[in-house]
Amino acid sequence: MTADTGDGISADVRLVAKALRNWPARAWLAVGGVATSSLLVIALVAALRGASHSVVAYVSQDGADLWITPPGADHFLRLSGVLPAVLADSVRSLPGVAAADVILRAFVAVSSRRRGARFRLTLYGIGYRAPEGLGGPPAFAAGRAPSKLREVALDRAAARRLGVGLDDTVFVNGRGARVVGLTTGTNLLVTQFIFADATAIAALSGFAGRASFIIVRLAPGAHSDTVAAQIGARFPDVGVFDRATFVANSQREAGAGYVPVLAFVDILGVGAAAVLVALLIHTLVESRRAELAVLLALGATPGMLAGGLIREATRLVVTGGVLGAGLARLLAVVLDRVYPVIPLRVDWGDTLWVLALFIACGTLASAIPVARLGRVDPLEAFRA
Amino acid sequence: MTVLLLEGVSKTRGTGAHATRALRDASLSVASGEVVLLEGASGAGKTTLLAVAAGLVTPDAGRVVLAGRSLADLSPAARRRHRARVVGFVFQRSNLLERLTAWENVLLMAQLAGRTAAEARGETEKVFAQLDIAHLAPRRPEELSGGEEQRVGVARALVHGPALVLADEPTGNLDGAAGRVVAEALAACSKLRGAAVLVATHDARLAPFATRKVPIVDGRLDYPPSDGQ
Repeated sequence: MTADTGDGISADVRLVAKALRNWPARAWLAVGGVATSSLLVIALVAALRGASHSVVAYVSQDGADLWITPPGADHFLRLSGVLPAVLADSVRSLPGVAAADVILRAFVAVSSRRRGARFRLTLYGIGYRAPEGLGGPPAFAAGRAPSKLREVALDRAAARRLGVGLDDTVFVNGRGARVVGLTTGTNLLVTQFIFADATAIAALSGFAGRASFIIVRLAPGAHSDTVAAQIGARFPDVGVFDRATFVANSQREAGAGYVPVLAFVDILGVGAAAVLVALLIHTLVESRRAELAVLLALGATPGMLAGGLIREATRLVVTGGVLGAGLARLLAVVLDRVYPVIPLRVDWGDTLWVLALFIACGTLASAIPVARLGRVDPLEAFRA
Repeated sequence: MTVLLLEGVSKTRGTGAHATRALRDASLSVASGEVVLLEGASGAGKTTLLAVAAGLVTPDAGRVVLAGRSLADLSPAARRRHRARVVGFVFQRSNLLERLTAWENVLLMAQLAGRTAAEARGETEKVFAQLDIAHLAPRRPEELSGGEEQRVGVARALVHGPALVLADEPTGNLDGAAGRVVAEALAACSKLRGAAVLVATHDARLAPFATRKVPIVDGRLDYPPSDGQ
């Protein structure tokens, strides 16, 4: 019979675990390695969240109750095909529709000149009925929406990369425009948004009279399914999506490009941490054979020793993982203030999931060296 | 009362060309209250005999009865439990666990022997008092002298009231004064607790504390087993 300490672990196992505890420099190095790995994994997931958040922030903005798309398109990103802009007028006349506005989305080359240097980015140009039409910037860090043809609102990360601020001039497809607003929630990581009046974007991109999407705001009391069915019946060649579906589709598309790469790098990160833990526990077993032999001779069971070692491995992984999670949160705050080009959204659910994954992998990794306990001969206690 | 009985025990260590007959038809009995010195040169088989007596090593032939139970009849887990309850070890080096204090080292042994937390604490306090080492309780092994370490090692061997204390060269690394203190502590094992004490040694300083000496040469005990024990 063994005494229980109240934390579910018998007193002897607790003392065995304490006896095997090993926190010299190499343990801290292992913690640092696990922390770095978990930081990497959490930061990568947070980067995906950040990009996905921007898509959601834009697509789910107030008033965007229905999205009308060209045939075959079911999301906001990377689609081809256009609609006739006059379709908005027809939709606007339907019952249950309070407003219908054209969105023209085209990649545009944006450049700036600062201190003799030229900076250039390719951005998502969003043309809308500025300044108050549907589909404008979801939020501003500074400034306002464009109200003239030669005015633009620019994602703040893009502004930083271009080295411009409010009232500075940028060149959109070669034409100068004044920056009147800096937007947030508009950074897709690989590119950012720039907002201008639809007429300006149409002129710059050669899409005059065309629309990428038509956003519909429903009249009070109108039901999205009913209005969508009407639009579908009246214009059978277009796609019609309610907000929730369009958001989900766009999130799926945002992740599609990143997820395989992120998963691969994340697996490498978790694997590196697992190898570190296995190496440390292996070293622990080998360097403390004498003490392990003494414990076995005194009556400790291999299960107690394995439990002690796995506890030690778990402590290392939890310490490293929590440290990495904290660093990821810190990094998100610092990047947001200092270098918003990389939008990190550290989510508690993701963090807990990553920590659980690290603990599981660390515990599994420690099983290999723990299995070597069987090679420890209690007789070594007499030779120590 | 006989605590340890070895009958015709043989053990070969290693295999093939490296095989060594560590014990050859060894028979020995040790009774409660005895302090038996197992005297022999290095490699004579002293440590193997202690390991066989404790059930750490299974003999190739012969029988070992420890505190009334034949070890051959016990499963490995039962043998471990039996060993933890009835055997105390004193090693050449104290082999105290370096991350634990002296108190925790002794407490752990009581817990491994199956005592509840309260019982373990009580017995640990008692043995520290009996050996007059309470002042050493909060120290870690690295903060103890060699003699102090070994006295804590003796406390660890005694805390759970074992029937048999096995000591392997307990004074081998100690100078004269420290060695004497440890020898006295070992003698106290039999006096205070009535334990049988089997000491593997070639240290002549232990002789005055022994009730019996058993020479061992090349794995053979030059001693007939006591009748009726």
